[in-house]
Amino acid sequence: MNTDRPARLASAAYDVDDGFAANELYQDNGWTDGLPIVPPTESLVRAFLDAARRGPEDVIGVEPVRRRRITAEKIAIAAVMAGCRPEYMPVVLAVVRAMCATEFGLHGTTASTGGSAQFIVVNGPVRRAIGMNATHNVLANASRANATIGRTPRLLILNVLGGTPGRLDRSTLGHPGKFTFCVAEDEEDHPWTPLASERGVPAERSAVTVLAAGSPHQLMNEWTREPRELLETYAATIRANLLTYSIWPGNYALVIGRQHRDVLVAAGWSKRDIREFVHERARVTRGEWCSVGKGAVVGRKGDNVHPALRSPDDLLVVAAGGPAGGFGAVIPPWYAAKSVAVTVPVETGDAS
Amino acid sequence: MTIRVLDPRLDPDGEPLGLAPALDSLEGATIGLLDNTKIGTARFYDHLEALLRQRGVRSFIRLRKPDASRPAPPEMLDELTGADAIVSGIGD
Repeated sequence: MNTDRPARLASAAYDVDDGFAANELYQDNGWTDGLPIVPPTESLVRAFLDAARRGPEDVIGVEPVRRRRITAEKIAIAAVMAGCRPEYMPVVLAVVRAMCATEFGLHGTTASTGGSAQFIVVNGPVRRAIGMNATHNVLANASRANATIGRTPRLLILNVLGGTPGRLDRSTLGHPGKFTFCVAEDEEDHPWTPLASERGVPAERSAVTVLAAGSPHQLMNEWTREPRELLETYAATIRANLLTYSIWPGNYALVIGRQHRDVLVAAGWSKRDIREFVHERARVTRGEWCSVGKGAVVGRKGDNVHPALRSPDDLLVVAAGGPAGGFGAVIPPWYAAKSVAVTVPVETGDAS
Repeated sequence: MTIRVLDPRLDPDGEPLGLAPALDSLEGATIGLLDNTKIGTARFYDHLEALLRQRGVRSFIRLRKPDASRPAPPEMLDELTGADAIVSGIGD
């Protein structure tokens, strides 16, 4: 959408003394998540738009409930503020498109008391091109790209959707992933099919998968080489979530670290094998609620069986994590299948 | 030297929404009660309905959304246009 004469930016502009004063302005107005921002100047915002080959007025997504039309300009502003580099923009735009899919339920996941974050998994060549991390400390701080791409949707929700805590965002607790929650999948050190490819995107294409998610639950098992035993630890973690959080099925994500992957791969287990095993094992009866203090809602349905997954395809299996340690994580859905994971290709036209 | 920074907010499209004006009287009125499906809503509306009947409300249109986290479908909103006033509530 580049033209010889740059399109006018729609956003109001403010003059401030310096970067510190800019940050103070955004903090005072509630325009940030509490962390400092990079001041979104016109020249930076234009550079980000150019990197995405987008005009400022291009509508990248429409939030389906309140019909907010999210323009490339506002996304570029949020990405600058979050600390992104311009070349991250195609990934950021794909994240926004995923969040605006009707089945993602962006409004409900934002407004709900059961606070959720956008858990973002990036696949394909773009991961390495922009320096994303898939190994050490993968669910936390280790890469600027992971950190800032993951932060951008929160700033958009705040400023573009009005998701201010206590106003539209009614989360009782929220969780730390609401600051940023983005990983690259490790596609290099095992024969498994990348997540996005499992979900229909050709392997050579870059893509993002976004899940409205609760906080990750880290698990440990360093004492078996038997895949079923290992995966039983994951299934048990999911069962605990079914009992202590929500018993209704939806998309769960497993982040499987290298040491666990080595066990599974050596035994010839594919991601499909993992999904099918966990589908069978991650289920509880309603009567088990009695063991966690929820006996009051068991009623006469104590024998009802509640699987965590509607089908094996509900499980997102993500290979990521550092080379040592028998750790993995279960990332639960916000609430059942009221929001489902969405996978969106990083558009070739967006590529810088 | 100053720097010029951009406003990150998006102005909503269209007219701002507000509450409808209050009815002059509840006598003989029809009141819509839209249930968002949360667990406490029906009991709350049962109580509200009893209170409103004491104040002269003649009839109610009570509807239950199919899903708490999504808007009411258009046909449900059409049905609610038969009411003089509508209560949309969350009973969480």
